[in-house]
Amino acid sequence: MGGEEFAVGCLLSIKTTLGDEFEGQIISYDRLSNILVLQEGLESGPRRNIRLLKADYIKDFSLLRQDEDPLDVKKCFLDLTTLQAREDSAIRQAESDSERFGVGVTSEAQTLFDALSRTLPVRWDKTVIVVMNEVRVSSPYLPESVSGGTPAANERVRKVLEFERKRIQTRGTSQ
Amino acid sequence: MNAQQAMLPKSSANGFGHRRGDREVGARVESKVQSGKSNQGRTQTSGEMAGGRTGVYESSSRDRLVYLTTCLIGHPVEVHVKNGSIYTGIFHATDAENDFGIILKMARLIKDSSLRGDKPITQLVSKAPSKILIVPAKEFVQVIAKDVAITRDGFASELQHEKHQELLIDSAITQSHHVEVERVLEPWVPGEDDPQRPELENVFDSPWNRNWDQFETNQKLFGVRSTFNEELYTTKLERGPQMREYEREAMRIAREIEGEETQDLHLAEERGFDLHGNFDIDEEMRFSSVQRGRGFDDSGYEEEEDVMLDSHNIETFGDSSDSSSRRPADLTSLQGTVEVRIPSSSSLVDTSSLETIATKQLASELPSKSFPMSDNESRIQNDFLGEYKGSSDAKEFAEKQSPSEDLQLSNPVDSRSLLNDKIDASDKAGPCEKPSSSELSGGTASSKVTGETHSANSRGRPGSSASSNSGCVVAVSAPSGPGLSPSSSMGSLSSEKSTLNPHAKEFKLNPNAKSFTPSQTPVRPPSPVSDGSFYYQAQMSPVPRMHMPVSYGIGSSFPGHQPVIYNPQVAPTQSPQPYHPNGPQYGQQMLLGQRQQVVYYQPEMQQYKGRHY
Repeated sequence: MGGEEFAVGCLLSIKTTLGDEFEGQIISYDRLSNILVLQEGLESGPRRNIRLLKADYIKDFSLLRQDEDPLDVKKCFLDLTTLQAREDSAIRQAESDSERFGVGVTSEAQTLFDALSRTLPVRWDKTVIVVMNEVRVSSPYLPESVSGGTPAANERVRKVLEFERKRIQTRGTSQ
Repeated sequence: MNAQQAMLPKSSANGFGHRRGDREVGARVESKVQSGKSNQGRTQTSGEMAGGRTGVYESSSRDRLVYLTTCLIGHPVEVHVKNGSIYTGIFHATDAENDFGIILKMARLIKDSSLRGDKPITQLVSKAPSKILIVPAKEFVQVIAKDVAITRDGFASELQHEKHQELLIDSAITQSHHVEVERVLEPWVPGEDDPQRPELENVFDSPWNRNWDQFETNQKLFGVRSTFNEELYTTKLERGPQMREYEREAMRIAREIEGEETQDLHLAEERGFDLHGNFDIDEEMRFSSVQRGRGFDDSGYEEEEDVMLDSHNIETFGDSSDSSSRRPADLTSLQGTVEVRIPSSSSLVDTSSLETIATKQLASELPSKSFPMSDNESRIQNDFLGEYKGSSDAKEFAEKQSPSEDLQLSNPVDSRSLLNDKIDASDKAGPCEKPSSSELSGGTASSKVTGETHSANSRGRPGSSASSNSGCVVAVSAPSGPGLSPSSSMGSLSSEKSTLNPHAKEFKLNPNAKSFTPSQTPVRPPSPVSDGSFYYQAQMSPVPRMHMPVSYGIGSSFPGHQPVIYNPQVAPTQSPQPYHPNGPQYGQQMLLGQRQQVVYYQPEMQQYKGRHY
């Protein structure tokens, strides 16, 4: 790949070997590592969509036009503590989120879980959704799969489950 | 340049951030230095162009890469790998030294290249997030990040946004493994951005000091008309010509009291004294916990101890012990209610009931009252009780009193009224944190009270009678002493309506009763009943037999209602148990030991028909 063509500011249309297609403006191209840093879109606002692409995987590209350097070096600024803090906070968030995500469950199951969690206290027990600590919904998460709990609770979970499934279906079909 | 760049370690980030064009990658600083050293200098001066266009960009290209990857730290990114799978996670670091392998934290596989075709998307099974995922440079194809802040403004806005976003709930903080150290708490100081509201500065001042009327504001803002009438909830203040004097006096007394030294931590805190020589005190003790046990405070208070320990009781149930301990004879009947009848009744009002006294009423009441004088002389009494004026007299009296008494009475008892034998204590009986007028009245009332007690207790022990709280009322019953029978006390205060129960039985002292010596208990026994009884008994011995009127109950059902079977003859069966065989009864009835000093509840109906004194 010609390094000369990867000039800063060039707007390229790229196809990757994995089938991705997109347009991006070059912020930087590092020869040594062969990494192309692109920003998608032409905005020069403070926040951009960044893509780091290994040039090896470019199947095809074309130069759309040549623009100015999208990165204003004068405005560059790094504050490590902020970054670190941001990372810590993101990790905390992720950790608490991880409680919400089932492991080894299908995304459909996850969707149902999320739907149930809107109105009921739910948690995962491996691949079983445990509602109100007493009602259990196991794969395949059909109304028949609801077991346990008081009859009232059981009924309620069943109803909610049915309702949510219907919703998913209609949503799915409408897409 | 190298030297400059060498100071790149994470910890120096702060100072670093100010320099333009600086790039850093978390852990790989040194290597970066090496590789980029010749470039660093150039990039510092952004405008400089060395060599051709490509040359400039080349030298800076690596830097840019490093810069941008640094911008990604903490940001959620998607990493596409060679085999087509996609991971999502939090960008942690990149190996800038080598070929930019990626390290993600809390990464999840969201697209697994190995699963294709058959299963619909919804069926794909999720994987557990891995704490750390390392994607070697060779593997990664792309890193996609959305909404990345890459300039100063971007960072600023992101910071703000995040601050608002993240609500750290306790469980999140404690669960996270990254937060191991307890946060160092700092006192809040208003920042520049915090709105200044000068009109709210003195919110804790007395109501008439604030320049802000809540009702008015509410009406203005919401059109709500308030029907609040202060007088519905408290005694009406008679704002007469003497009001100012009373206020002044009250303020003075209040100031005196509040300026008193105290051993009580909480009081001291309020008054601004620093008692914290003892460093065992933590925040909880300083600001919230109840003081229990005064092992360290007991020195010098022996004689007062019983009184003080009992003040709680006294508060609620009336100062039976006190009076009793002092002298059965002198038991003054206390007009129990707050509205008090102190003035109205002749009685010897409980000195400790500064709180009681501390009602606005007094200010208004007192002047109008002609103070009942008991037969017994008391110069003090004559001096001022008679013509209570409010200011000078009270002052005099107060002054007389103060020097003689050790004022540190209030503490362990938590600002409860102090039952103190000595009259002196009376007007310093307890810190009264009430509005000034009440202080005033408190002061005056107490002086009155003491005067009265003097008179009544010519024998010397100013039995302060039961203190009363605004909430509970207890009156000390029957004091009859050898020279003072209920009737006589009634008689002496003939001008006033008597609050004594005319139907009460006479108290007869049982000289054979066992005497009891209170032991020093660090912790207050749970039952207030017991306290009273102990002390009472202790003091009983020297007193000749008395008969004690016993009355119980509320309402006018006195005569028929005599649950207390006080019978001195029954002595042999009476063991020094704190409770009467009938069992402890709280509330309006209280039995304290055998030798009952009955504290009974003076129903307002009884002696108090309306508020005239």
